[in-house]
Amino acid sequence: MKAGISAKQHVKSGIVAMHHMRAVGFLVVAAALCVAASADFLAMWSPDEFHPSPALTRIDSLSRYCPSLRGTRADTRIFVYEGAASGPTLLVLGGTHPNEPAGFMAATVLLENIIIRTGRVFIIPQACASGFTCTDPLEGSPQTFSLQTQSGKRIFRFGGRAANVVDQWPDPLVYLHYPSGQQLSGNETRNLNRAYPGRQDGSLTEQTAFAIVSLIREEHVDLAVDLHEAAPEIPIINAIVTHEKGRELAANAVLNLEFENLQFALELSPANFHGLSHREWGDWTPVIPFLMETSNPIQGRLRGTTSEQLIVDGVDPWYLIAGRLGTMRITYDEAGESLSGRVGRHLQALRALVDVYNEEHPDSALVLEGLPGYGELTARGVHQYLR
Amino acid sequence: MQHRTVLVAFILLLSGAMVQVSAQDRPKFHAPVLITSAGQSADVTLAGSLCKKAGIEARVIAAATAADLKGFKTLMIVAGFSSKGLGAAGTSREQELERVMKIIAAAQEAKLPILTLHIGGKARRGTQSDDFNRIASEAGRYILVVKQGNDDGFFTKIAGDRKTPIEVVEKIAGVVAPLSAAFK
Repeated sequence: MKAGISAKQHVKSGIVAMHHMRAVGFLVVAAALCVAASADFLAMWSPDEFHPSPALTRIDSLSRYCPSLRGTRADTRIFVYEGAASGPTLLVLGGTHPNEPAGFMAATVLLENIIIRTGRVFIIPQACASGFTCTDPLEGSPQTFSLQTQSGKRIFRFGGRAANVVDQWPDPLVYLHYPSGQQLSGNETRNLNRAYPGRQDGSLTEQTAFAIVSLIREEHVDLAVDLHEAAPEIPIINAIVTHEKGRELAANAVLNLEFENLQFALELSPANFHGLSHREWGDWTPVIPFLMETSNPIQGRLRGTTSEQLIVDGVDPWYLIAGRLGTMRITYDEAGESLSGRVGRHLQALRALVDVYNEEHPDSALVLEGLPGYGELTARGVHQYLR
Repeated sequence: MQHRTVLVAFILLLSGAMVQVSAQDRPKFHAPVLITSAGQSADVTLAGSLCKKAGIEARVIAAATAADLKGFKTLMIVAGFSSKGLGAAGTSREQELERVMKIIAAAQEAKLPILTLHIGGKARRGTQSDDFNRIASEAGRYILVVKQGNDDGFFTKIAGDRKTPIEVVEKIAGVVAPLSAAFK
């Protein structure tokens, strides 16, 4: 009898030991996965490198315009270029949405190639710096993309649409825009382009918006351009969105671009949709604001493989089918929507806006040189314009 | 079946081509022109710039009403829907459709000729835009269209059905010459 119990106990203790070993094994594997995942996650905290053109005057930080941003991951670099003679001031924002790489890359190409004769240019390539430290959940996005430049392979981060939840948490159920009281879904609380004009003591995203609006005011910015992208099936792509202040200027730029064989739709900023740069910058400051959109397949719902190649080449078989079926509002063919073409569109349109502004203000022109246009970028590739 | 479709398409294309206006058949319009939108796209602003380039006296009132017609000799309707534009005008799609129909009725009652312009290409086509495109085109005495917006013959079919002179130009900038000729 005793021997029987002892044998049972022995078997039982053996099973328990096996369970323990299995549990320890699982813990070890889980810990290893956590370490690997966190290394991957933390890899996105390393800042991107920029190689400004020799025309650079100085590099500032956004926290200069809202000191509470100092030391946070929302603080970001501002590249300032000043011409030999005075003139108007231009602000260019890339990376408001870090999953729209053509905006970020157009700002980067601009800051690495610009030559300035008169006036001033402020460039913020990563306006939502916190958003560059993570990707959007459930999108399967790559964390980076790379380009082979003259100086070797350069790697750029591909982030999420909004600020990282690690930096601003939790999201409310409903986001109440300040000061309009407009209601949006809770996750929009981290979207920089729903946060303008922002507030100094608000959320991290509101502080970022406040700093940008303060920069516009304090630096007396005349023209400001926010560079974006959208899914190819969205109606507002290859478009310039303008505040009513810039309506004529944008219309003339669109016509001039058409002479250069580049079609852009002109869109007016809705007066009752708050928080957007093209609305609030224009309402709260003297600047003439514009927002530009190109067509980015990696943001689209029809896309197939979500890869680094899709970011750079912009060729997706499912969009090709949609294009053949005539369901797209843009021409989408085998050439796709390459990063080079999208960056080219942004820069050509930026140049067109500046040219029309200069025509309207002949006594105070912003004279820029060194900006590659659409033709050059599509012919040679964006990598050729990165140092 | 397939042959019949091809044949119908051919006839439609031919009828469209037949209403492609020659210089002497182009209807004549007089300034000043009231430019309004059908669908609140910002193309209405572009139309204002085009008139300026063509040397035509014109005023843009994107959401013009019948009361605004007074003093004008031509109504130019720029067709194309934009959700942002509707937001900018603070109106809904239904309200906009109603406004467009009312101003067309008022212009017709006042015997004011209507010139229809579609310059937004593919971006101003599709379900949301085509109601506006149809209403504006059916009311037009003359239709000027940028080719990309007419790839499927939408406008040439309406023009063919109603025997309305139509001109299809390659690009937005190409609108200036026929526009200028129509006001000479």
